[in-house]
Amino acid sequence: MYPAKFDYYRANSVEEAVKLLAENSDAKLLAGGHSLIPAMKLRLTQPALLIDIGKIDSLKNIKANGSLEIGALATHARVAASADVKKWFPALANAASLIGDQQVRNFGTIGGNIAHADPASDPPTVLIAAGATIHVRGASGTRAIAAEDFFVDLFTTALEPGEVVTKIEIPNLSGRKSAYAKMSHPASRYAIVGVCAVLSMEGDTCKEARLVVGGAVAHATRLSEAEAVLKGKKLDAAALKAAADAAIAQVGDDAMGDITAPADYRRAMVGQYLQRAIQSALG
Amino acid sequence: MEITLTINGVKKTFVCNPGDSLLRVLRREGYFSVKYGSDDGTTGAAAILLNGKLVNAELMLAAQANGQPIETIEGMAKGIRLHPIQDAFVRTGAIQCGYCTPAMILAAKALIAQNPNPTAEDAREALSGVLCRCTGYIKPIQAILEAAAVMRGEPPTEIDVNVVQPLTFMPGDDGGQSVEPPEFPSGSGGTQTRQHILPKFIYAPQAPQTRVVGKPETKVDSIKLVKGNPAFVDDVEFRGMLHAKLLTSPHAHARIVKIDDSEARNMQGVHAVIHCFNVPRVKYASGGQSYPNPKPYDQVSFDNKVRYVGDRVAAVAAETLEIAEEAIRRIKVEYEILPAVFDAEAAMKPGAPIIHDEDDTEGIFDAQRNISHHIHAQVGNVEKGLAEADHVFEHTYHVHQVQQVPIEPHIAISWWDADERLVIRTSTQVPFHARRMVAPLLGLPVKRIRVIKPRIGGGFGVKQEMLIEDIVGHLTIATGRPVRLELNREEEFVSSRTRHPQTLTFRTGVNKDGQLVAIDMKVIGNTGAYATHGLTVQTVTGLRGLSTYKSPNMRFECFVVYTNIPVPGAYRGYGGPQALFALESHMEEVAHALGMDVIEFKQLNYIREGDPLHIAPMLGEGEAENVTSVPIIMSSGLDECVAQGMDAIDWERRYQEGWRIDPARPHIRHGIGMAICMHGTAIPGLDMGGASIKINDDGSFNLLVGATDLGTGSDTVLAQIAAETLGVPTEDIIVYSSDTDMTPFDTGAYASSTTYISGMAVKKAAEGVREQIKHRASRIFGLDSTEGIYLKDRYAWSPDGRSVSLEKIALHSLHQEDQHQIMDTASYVSMASPPPFAAQFAEVEVDTETGQVTVKKLVMAVDAGVVINPITASGQIEGGMTQALGYGHCEEMIYDDKGRMLNAELGPYKIYAAHEMPELETILVQTYEPTGPFGAKAIAEIPKDGVAPALASAIFNATGVRVRDIPFTPEKVWKALHS
Repeated sequence: MYPAKFDYYRANSVEEAVKLLAENSDAKLLAGGHSLIPAMKLRLTQPALLIDIGKIDSLKNIKANGSLEIGALATHARVAASADVKKWFPALANAASLIGDQQVRNFGTIGGNIAHADPASDPPTVLIAAGATIHVRGASGTRAIAAEDFFVDLFTTALEPGEVVTKIEIPNLSGRKSAYAKMSHPASRYAIVGVCAVLSMEGDTCKEARLVVGGAVAHATRLSEAEAVLKGKKLDAAALKAAADAAIAQVGDDAMGDITAPADYRRAMVGQYLQRAIQSALG
Repeated sequence: MEITLTINGVKKTFVCNPGDSLLRVLRREGYFSVKYGSDDGTTGAAAILLNGKLVNAELMLAAQANGQPIETIEGMAKGIRLHPIQDAFVRTGAIQCGYCTPAMILAAKALIAQNPNPTAEDAREALSGVLCRCTGYIKPIQAILEAAAVMRGEPPTEIDVNVVQPLTFMPGDDGGQSVEPPEFPSGSGGTQTRQHILPKFIYAPQAPQTRVVGKPETKVDSIKLVKGNPAFVDDVEFRGMLHAKLLTSPHAHARIVKIDDSEARNMQGVHAVIHCFNVPRVKYASGGQSYPNPKPYDQVSFDNKVRYVGDRVAAVAAETLEIAEEAIRRIKVEYEILPAVFDAEAAMKPGAPIIHDEDDTEGIFDAQRNISHHIHAQVGNVEKGLAEADHVFEHTYHVHQVQQVPIEPHIAISWWDADERLVIRTSTQVPFHARRMVAPLLGLPVKRIRVIKPRIGGGFGVKQEMLIEDIVGHLTIATGRPVRLELNREEEFVSSRTRHPQTLTFRTGVNKDGQLVAIDMKVIGNTGAYATHGLTVQTVTGLRGLSTYKSPNMRFECFVVYTNIPVPGAYRGYGGPQALFALESHMEEVAHALGMDVIEFKQLNYIREGDPLHIAPMLGEGEAENVTSVPIIMSSGLDECVAQGMDAIDWERRYQEGWRIDPARPHIRHGIGMAICMHGTAIPGLDMGGASIKINDDGSFNLLVGATDLGTGSDTVLAQIAAETLGVPTEDIIVYSSDTDMTPFDTGAYASSTTYISGMAVKKAAEGVREQIKHRASRIFGLDSTEGIYLKDRYAWSPDGRSVSLEKIALHSLHQEDQHQIMDTASYVSMASPPPFAAQFAEVEVDTETGQVTVKKLVMAVDAGVVINPITASGQIEGGMTQALGYGHCEEMIYDDKGRMLNAELGPYKIYAAHEMPELETILVQTYEPTGPFGAKAIAEIPKDGVAPALASAIFNATGVRVRDIPFTPEKVWKALHS
């Protein structure tokens, strides 16, 4: 199966990629390509030019220094294996290790993943829960977008035309407890439901909970009702159940359904996986 | 554009288009080990190492790899010296069809490079992106652990059977020829990571003493497959070859009013466009079956009507696949859209759309009601039996549509040879049927067609069909050029063949002591748009449903119904898995209602040695004229299978409340279930195999068989049978299968027939050759007769202890005296179809909060007679169980209300991958089947039969909830638990 005809250009720097994007309105960036190339074969998208940024080494670094910075072209395999990520925010390393299979993780990138904004993908859920910032660069300079504002809709982000994701910044989460719990699609391992919990605890009491759901809705979304339920509470079974009910109510008619998991089932699973994520975070 | 790649250490520059995937470029340049499995990369067959990392060459552009080092398995062996990973794959039997083997080996290489001490868990994760439909991943995982151990400097594990003592009889206690079981080598190799290689094995007291048969020989074709040598249909280059592409119907039911192909035809590089307005209308049925194929002949190459989404409309041949794909988009078809019907029961109702309203199809039972066939059989008097029974129970079950999913999709290449004969190189299980059936469609006599079956990347029944051979044939005739057609994954799902969905109702009369009195079985089978295997699959459903349990009164009533779904055909098990899901679930429900233990109830009623199979002559596959007597069971190890299986799964746990409910995880329930399986061995009176054997100068032999190894190991098993008979090692038998010009006829690889039927043909041919060798030897020995001469260790031995090598005999015979080619040909057909038996056990964990069923362990104890090769036999069981697990647990073709398949790709359509496999345990319970070669029966299909009902049984044990339709998806189980 062949994609529609296109031109290919390998960019050697972010500046060059940004310039080419500005000059070619019908261009797309190619990182790993594991979402883009199948879509092009199916003619779901037909860019006239692909700008391959996959060899820009400066976008591949992962470093921890006050905050954790992950270059947009870090592969899922590197994110999963990175000692810094594991130390800083283990839920992200865990989520990255659950993406697809080895072949996908070795070539697919975190930047490509979030720019594609597949609702069933794991990183958006985890990054919003962490309060991460997405750094992008366009013709008019750089800007920083809160992860929570970055994912706008199904396959839609806050990126402006011509902007390139350069890195993802995760704040210092020391002292927080976090976990990602996911019901995987049995074959693709995409999330049917994925919930990430980041908790600030004072003894048994929850000072603050950041709870995010992905997979079940059009884009990863904070479960603010459930967060409110847990704030200042002891996280016992009754509190978790109340949070689950609040999450189910919030998801409501927004729950997506497909042949693997119809909406009513998926909505019910949001409650289950919310509880599992919190239990897992509490250890 | 120009790219430079360093492939296996050699720097090369290629010209390619931006749109070329790396896979296409590598294959075009002759790196044939990198395989196509799907366009979205989900099979993982296109794996390569890029900078030492396993990546998918189908999912990346060639341009993305520019300037980087690539490894393929062509670079791994040093001449004839295999890499230790390749060697481990050969020795452990990790290769079946071999299509995904290169990807697996590269995954193993990347893993071991990173981690020299991988655990089984690491190996499973490393293989998780490479889908395999043959092995069940068990042996590949073992191969990786074995390879890692050898690469660490540890000694290789010796591969031999794991002999265990029988539980229901004493070895040698039946007065037959007693055999001491050989010592089982300790075999653990000293590392914790390696696991047992071979299954548990119970010797049959009467099994013959053999030297080659019964031994875990490595596969005769494993070297070429492990090295990635060009062995498959597509691994050839032809100058001037054109690429074909199908245009398929977007509508479930429509008349083709007009086709405007002018724009496509006028494209540069397009050489032919064929469709119903330029291809002759010749009626046929596509199922690959013996002459005369069962009616109705309801198909033509291109019809003026389409009957399902995916039905053929037109085909194009063009210089490149890219041009062919574009040309297809430019064909304008005017359809008159007709109402469609997808449900079999709805299709039989008055007013339903008539799917076959054409006037030139004969033999439809009732075209107005869309009923292609009606099948009826009765033994005794069922109504009377039901009336007299103490209790009557009735349950209805539904089984769904699944696809065979060979990792190699259908592919065929045709060309005119120098003698202007049409050669078709095709991925088929039935080369001889394909030649006979394609001839009238192409307007050529059979003698002008040659069909070659090279290596096949899995079939499982979907290639028991004359499916695309006519299209490449038409296009070669139209263009004079070689033409290649490969189905992509979506086409493989919707435009090839699938398993028949059915609704099955059992009504059973039973006395209060548990004795069966009457079994009434009603089936509605959905045969989709064409009848192809509709009659015979549904007939087998009846046969299998009414064979396992004895009852004086039995009845089978079945309607085979046309609908507008993609066409069901042959799929390993052939009607058996459908029947046995319903039968075994129903029998368990009956036992439960009677308050009896399920195994005791089944044992009270199941068939045993010496019992007649009364229903069999009435439910045959077109051989009714030949087989009229009631067959008798000559061998059954079922009691031992049940005992071994209960022991291996630790059956008693299922009665312990404390085990079923986990106090630490109260939402989890554990359960154990079981099912009895019984299958057939070949179609009696119909399946025929032929074999030719000739000696070479060095005392080796060519074995030419029409039998079709599609990854099963039949070439190896047949070589072992020849080697045993001729007193040589297996390596002295050079197998060639199958080629309609070169090899004798064989009906093909289906109906669990190859070992039993073709194996007997090989044995007979080998015995003929053996007699000729003995004659020659007696002449060399100066003896008057051949009496007392025997063959052993590549020599003929005289009664007085003299010997002469087979090489000397060959040279003597071919060159020296009264020259004669020592050779013989034989064929075989059997009036018996001795059933293999098995007991299938399953252990599950059910998450009551999510409905997720996790299968923890499957145990299958199988009586397949004397097993010719325990390594290939256990591979058949492991792979078959894994397919059956998908059938029961997660695979399902799903459609929208217009009949469009919603999950025609291997993500949404889920087959099991390595990382999620449960533990599999295989137990080979040998019996001696007097009618089989060396006592063998079949093994290929029976592992498909028991998993789904055993899962249903285990889920019931865990939760008390009975689910009567498969697959057991989380949502379905969750709703059942919460309803």
